[in-house]
Amino acid sequence: MQLKHYSLTLLTILVVFFTACQDEEYSLPAAKTGLNNDCIKRTLGPNVVGLNLEFAYAMALPKAEGKIISAQVEASIAGAPATYLENRSFSTNGSGVDVPVIVGSPSVNSGTKTEVVFTRDTCAATLRYFYIIPEEARGKTVKFTFSAKASNGQTVSYEMGPYNIAKMDMKLDLLLSDNNNSYISIADMAVYNSATAATNAANIDLVYLYRVITGITFTHALVAPASSPDYLPGVTLPSGVNKSAKVWKVWALRDQQLARLQYGIFIDDLDFQQLNFTGAPDYAINLRAEAGTWVETADGKYRAYIYINKIDNTKKEMTISIKRYPMQ
Amino acid sequence: MKRYFITFIVITLVTFSWVRCTDFPIDEDGLLITTRGQCYVSNFELLGVDFQTVRTQSAVIDTTAQTINVVVFYGTDLKNVYPQFSLVTDAKLDPKIVGKVDFSDLANPKVYTVISGNRLVKKPYTVYITVQAKP
Repeated sequence: MQLKHYSLTLLTILVVFFTACQDEEYSLPAAKTGLNNDCIKRTLGPNVVGLNLEFAYAMALPKAEGKIISAQVEASIAGAPATYLENRSFSTNGSGVDVPVIVGSPSVNSGTKTEVVFTRDTCAATLRYFYIIPEEARGKTVKFTFSAKASNGQTVSYEMGPYNIAKMDMKLDLLLSDNNNSYISIADMAVYNSATAATNAANIDLVYLYRVITGITFTHALVAPASSPDYLPGVTLPSGVNKSAKVWKVWALRDQQLARLQYGIFIDDLDFQQLNFTGAPDYAINLRAEAGTWVETADGKYRAYIYINKIDNTKKEMTISIKRYPMQ
Repeated sequence: MKRYFITFIVITLVTFSWVRCTDFPIDEDGLLITTRGQCYVSNFELLGVDFQTVRTQSAVIDTTAQTINVVVFYGTDLKNVYPQFSLVTDAKLDPKIVGKVDFSDLANPKVYTVISGNRLVKKPYTVYITVQAKP
């Protein structure tokens, strides 16, 4: 019995050793022939109208087989006029710095296509493509076909996408000032003073104020015009400014596109869709920099996130950036 | 050899069964009922919807009177706050806190009952909230 066990164990060890010791010969990998290409998307986060979608498109063929003569990108929806394909190829030097080399003439947009014709004798290049998201793409999907041609007649192409284009809008760095530009319109994505607020009364959703009141903490506040006068001390509302927006206070939701800080947080269309404003108050007081507020307009037409980029107690000012989503 | 092996297995199984059968009762919430009879709140926190404290200072907990007194910032939205209780070891709270709580009815303060680890002692704590007054 014991002998049988020893034999079985020995046999297993031998089989394992035999399998492990099989010699696999190494050979240098052969370089690919012909024209090849690859592509990566460089931008992160929601694709908002007016921002760009950035790609890096690489193409190469062995030197002996020819040179690249052109590169082209075709988008399913034509980009905004500022859309372009770099005519410079970037390589990273030893210090980690991207060094450009001009390889072709500036890109030309023609309908949905953007093309660069190469002027330099090169068999490898990486071009960056900046698709400026047009208004027509809002709420739709967009995809891209990158392609390159070589002097030997070869062509290659690479599909990217589809990518969802957000329905939301974005406005950065609106300066609010106590008793001056203190009226916020979510519908207009704008800030008004008391004179202009009166002419846009139907669209005023929030009032900004800064108060230092002994014994309580009030400071910077965003208050709906229809809120209790307790939260609008010393404010005389322009005629017709009487809406009641709903407001949720938020802390540390530092959306990267609004804050432009190091945090990898992005507010997308879905976040607005899933918000629940039941029981939300109509004011937010004691606000700080890097805080924010979710807002729903009185008519429920828009939801927005107001991020507070900066506050200034001396000047009684607040700098905000807004993302707004149309609910209807 | 075989007999020794079987004996060993049987002893092991009996030992395990004996250990497993020792009584550790659990309550209706699946929590362990222990021998601890202590029953008090050791700390109280109140958070706003932004998960930041709305207290102006530490809550005053009177374990004899079984009261918690909290002063909150002016303008605190008391309809939407998250209370947090720290209890003595093994104790539990009734009713359970599962989300936002409406503390806005200041005339009728909320009462939470602390139940000791042995589930034999129950102490109701009343939460009194005072909003920072505007001068």
